[in-house]
Amino acid sequence: MASKRDKDGRYPETKILSKNFGVKDSWTLKVAKKNGAYKNLEKALKMAPADIIEEVKTSRVRGRGGAGFPTGVKWGFVPTESDKPKYLVLNADESEPGTFKDRYLMELDPHLVLEGCLICAYACGLSTIYIYVRGEYPKSQERLWGAIEEARKAGILGKSVMGSDFACEAYVHTGAGAYICGEETGMLESLEGKRGHPRIKPPFPAVEGAFGCPTVINNVETLAHVPCIIENGGQWFADMGIQPDPDNPRAMGSSGTKLMGLSGDIKTPGVWEFEFGITLRELIEQYGEGALDGRKVKAVIPGGLSMPVLTADELDVPMGFDALVKVGSGLGTATAIVMDDSRDMVEVCENIAHFFADESCGQCTPCREGCHWMEKIFARIQGGEGTPADLDLLERLFINIEGRTICALADAAVWPLRSIIRKFRHEFLAKMPGHEDAPASTETAGVGAS
Amino acid sequence: MGDAVNTIFINGTEYPFKPGQTVIQVAQENGIDIQHYCYHPGLSIAGNCRICMIEVEGNPQPQISCKLDCAPPPWIKEPLRVQTESEVAKQGREGTMEMLLVNHPLDCPICDQAGECHLQDYSYEVGQGQASTTTAKTKLPKNVPFGSKIVYDAERCIKCTLCVRFCEEITETNELSMQGRGDEEMVVMTSKGEFDTPYSMNIIDICPVGALTSRDFRFKSRLWFMDFANSIDTSSAKGVNIVTGGRNGTFLRIEPRYNASINDWWMADEGRVAYKYVNSPSRLETALVRDADGQFRVANWEDAISAAAEALRSNPGDILLDGGCTLEEMVLAKDLAGAMGKNAKFAAATGEGDGWLVTEEKGANAKGAELLEVARAKRAQAASVLVIEREEHVNASMREKSGAVVVFATDGEHVPESAEVVFPLPSWAEREGTLVNIDGLAQWMERNPAIGPNNLPVFVEILEDLIGELDDDYAWRGADGVRAEIAALPAFAKVALPWQTETPVGAGS
Amino acid sequence: MIPPTNSAPPVAVQFPPKELKKECEDILSRYPTRMAACLPILLLAQKHYDNWVSPEVEAGVAEYLGVSDSHIRGLLTFYAMYNAKPAGRHEVWVCRTLTCMLRGAGKLRDTALGCAKAKTTGEVGEDGKFLVKDMECLGLCEVAPAVFVDGEAHVDVTPEKLTELMEACD
Ligand SMILES: Cc1cc2nc3c(=O)[nH]c(=O)nc-3n(C[C@H](O)[C@H](O)[C@H](O)COP(=O)(O)O)c2cc1C
Ligand code: SF4
Ligand code: SF4
Ligand code: FES
Ligand code: FES
Repeated sequence: MASKRDKDGRYPETKILSKNFGVKDSWTLKVAKKNGAYKNLEKALKMAPADIIEEVKTSRVRGRGGAGFPTGVKWGFVPTESDKPKYLVLNADESEPGTFKDRYLMELDPHLVLEGCLICAYACGLSTIYIYVRGEYPKSQERLWGAIEEARKAGILGKSVMGSDFACEAYVHTGAGAYICGEETGMLESLEGKRGHPRIKPPFPAVEGAFGCPTVINNVETLAHVPCIIENGGQWFADMGIQPDPDNPRAMGSSGTKLMGLSGDIKTPGVWEFEFGITLRELIEQYGEGALDGRKVKAVIPGGLSMPVLTADELDVPMGFDALVKVGSGLGTATAIVMDDSRDMVEVCENIAHFFADESCGQCTPCREGCHWMEKIFARIQGGEGTPADLDLLERLFINIEGRTICALADAAVWPLRSIIRKFRHEFLAKMPGHEDAPASTETAGVGAS
Repeated sequence: MGDAVNTIFINGTEYPFKPGQTVIQVAQENGIDIQHYCYHPGLSIAGNCRICMIEVEGNPQPQISCKLDCAPPPWIKEPLRVQTESEVAKQGREGTMEMLLVNHPLDCPICDQAGECHLQDYSYEVGQGQASTTTAKTKLPKNVPFGSKIVYDAERCIKCTLCVRFCEEITETNELSMQGRGDEEMVVMTSKGEFDTPYSMNIIDICPVGALTSRDFRFKSRLWFMDFANSIDTSSAKGVNIVTGGRNGTFLRIEPRYNASINDWWMADEGRVAYKYVNSPSRLETALVRDADGQFRVANWEDAISAAAEALRSNPGDILLDGGCTLEEMVLAKDLAGAMGKNAKFAAATGEGDGWLVTEEKGANAKGAELLEVARAKRAQAASVLVIEREEHVNASMREKSGAVVVFATDGEHVPESAEVVFPLPSWAEREGTLVNIDGLAQWMERNPAIGPNNLPVFVEILEDLIGELDDDYAWRGADGVRAEIAALPAFAKVALPWQTETPVGAGS
Repeated sequence: MIPPTNSAPPVAVQFPPKELKKECEDILSRYPTRMAACLPILLLAQKHYDNWVSPEVEAGVAEYLGVSDSHIRGLLTFYAMYNAKPAGRHEVWVCRTLTCMLRGAGKLRDTALGCAKAKTTGEVGEDGKFLVKDMECLGLCEVAPAVFVDGEAHVDVTPEKLTELMEACD
């Protein structure tokens, strides 16, 4: 894989999803068409739906919304025989902190997003597309609505998609500010006009989703990959990135490219597209240009807020689904948050715990009560009133929260917090009267998102 | 697929299950208690409280039993093996309990639900009675009125959403929703301020903690001082199964009792408050006989019985029964009327019904009367004996027009001018016997000894004594003898009688 | 003591008002149920009625969509973008989540509160002009810290810039 780096050791960008990002007026149908928009939809409409699903399976593309579920497999779950209408709900909620990649796609290439949706809808026999965009993304909403209007006028959307007998409608549905609506079943509830309380599964959305009907839910970036998979074939996609580990059935590999981002204490934050395989350190140093002047990177959450942190020593890990799990973290949304050596990790924990306490939907006892309890404990430690027993209490709460709730928000709260208190324990003790001189801890193992 | 797994091992014992059953259901059916708050067999599964955790062998994480299907995933050909009392299961429950208590007010001593609170029960059971927290509790509103009958306490509420689901799924009136999020979640009621459903008070029963209380029952008595009996709602003819609760003679409350063929777990609010007259200050407690100067004087039972017999001999006439009388009472009343060469009739109000648990027919045993061929009385019914428990069945004008000389009344206010001899009639909660509901299901009504004045005579015994006075050949049969006769009646050939058969009530009709 | 009963129910506004009728019908046509239109229609209603949803509007929308007003109350208190209390003439969102915090959101919050003459977030300032709200990640982290003023995003915000923005509001 070293071959991917150029002679200066730089890991190159691979612009497939992002090929139109710099193009003037890239979001208009005119410009998009010039750059090839909808020709892959045209191709797809001539294929048998089952062949499209096969092609997507071959590509081994995994969901870009954070969970990494194989997309082709998910599509295969949708019952073909069903007298109910079937829906596509595009997850454009992007409320994971530190994550802004889907916004680029929606604002700069909405026709690519729509094309991906239409191919998915055709392949799975879905009649309506709802694009659930978070309320805080007015520009994305505007661009998507614009694209839908243009596509409708051009006969790309409607009773006869590009002259075929496939009919499909698309609408933007606006969220109103709730992180939990990014969780797919919370999103379905919200789409139905309810509070975004995630559903208890089974049934899974593919069988009983929006309005009680079979529903496919995918992330924006996931479906944006689909047109090029149709263009170049699943194998072309599968050959990019990191291959599966033949000895480990759970290591399904990380095929294709991914939008990756950086934010926080970094010189040049931003979003870039790479084949999977760039290391976190390369991303930070070659593209983020490292820490701010005079500072050093101390801790990084590799994708969003919901994954365990990695310390400065742990950054030589390739950005890929399996590789990050192996080092006890996870790819998440592949948009890393960087913290430098001026940061107070207790304050960081308080901030993180507040986020999850604030965003817990409130259904499950462990999440509703636990997230607030953790926040209060971190506040207590920050206020100089903590004791080492508080760290033990936190460890116990982690056990009682993780894996014991309806959705993964509670897990997402535990993972970063637990990794921080384990890896930066001394910073916590340093705020406790009588324990100020605790040595820095060296423990890094045993923190898992697995 | 003939070889689908259809058994499950719970704590090492193999039990069969029906497709679709969850672990908690099969456990309960087999007498294995698994704690639960948000699960209710009559409502959808929310799986949010996370207390019903069990261990599934092979899985290090405890699982919730209210959602867990007994059938293993299709690729597993072995029955599931679960443990309800293993370390993993207990640790799971303790972990959740600690979370529940972190924000729960520790005001059990003043909480109405004390003694009936599942949180209190279980928090003792799982031994986390002290949440390990010095953390300040979240403040939420207390004493929020939910309509005129119910009060809500958001701090005690554990957000199990049972009450919300009841109003969505059972009554479909949607008065309640959850509001806020995170630890500010709580139940909110429609700003209309009143429930549309006449079944709202069921939410008090299903609330697993003391977050919803009845204004009516609030603070009146601690549970552990009360006596309970399995009775039947007699405010209409559906035969809703209830539990009566009383203490020291006072009727304190009515709660529904599960019966799959009638009311499931529910009852209407009007049946729940239909006990107030039982506590009336003008309840009759002694027999009264009118003396020569026209005044009532207290008499002992024997004197009253002979005076009554005397009065009936000189004024023979029909018997007018309250429509809530039992089969046994009706049979004996018929015989008493027969001894005078007359008939027994019953009176019962009709009113609004809702097609569910409130019937238009208000006579709780109107159907029983029909089977016994006791006719419904006309509005102006002359009678020599009047049996009146509920005002609405025999109103003042009917009472006065009856001209009855012997009166059995629950309340002294209901005695007509014409009465010569008056017996106190125990209310339905104080009597036992058989009622046939409007659908023809016969059910047993149990007496609650903690309700009503002490030492009231048993109504059926007085009836028999009176027959004996009027009929020299009368052979005492006792209530059991009467029941045997009822069972032998052709009209009851197809009615499953509760004291006669093991078949579930209603199965035979 | 327990208050006797709830106070008199609010009088529902006639919803939708003429100006919103077409848009509301358009929204309704997108979904198989009326309830599904709750979120977008509430956003619309909030914009129309002085940036908040009063109990009267709540009741009007509930009636229009055939849902219980408690359902609407549940939504208003679940989603951060709704205001169930009077919201002032201008609404400022300050992101408080990790990246923005690292990039100085704490100072922005103080600045915003100062300009708004408000003691705390979520409450309208003394002069009734601004409502400052703490928001979680606004998805603008690569250009953090981020704020929204009246629905418009501003990035790489400094306290000086925020002061300027807020002073420009009338
Ligand atoms: C708390 C939580 C928040 C989530 N937020 C998002 C989100 O903002 N965007 C997203 O695409 N997926 C999000 N997800 C993941 C979705 O549940 C779901 O896995 C995803 O939309 C599936 O699409 P994919 O397979 O294309 O990734 C979230 C999951 C959880 C548990
Ligand atoms: S884990 Fe938290 S966010 Fe998820 S359903 Fe439960 S309470 Fe809601
Ligand atoms: S009031 Fe009772 S039933 Fe309703 S949510 Fe709270 S605890 Fe559950
Ligand atoms: S009873 Fe099973 S989760 Fe509440
Ligand atoms: S953390 Fe503030 S915009 Fe993402």
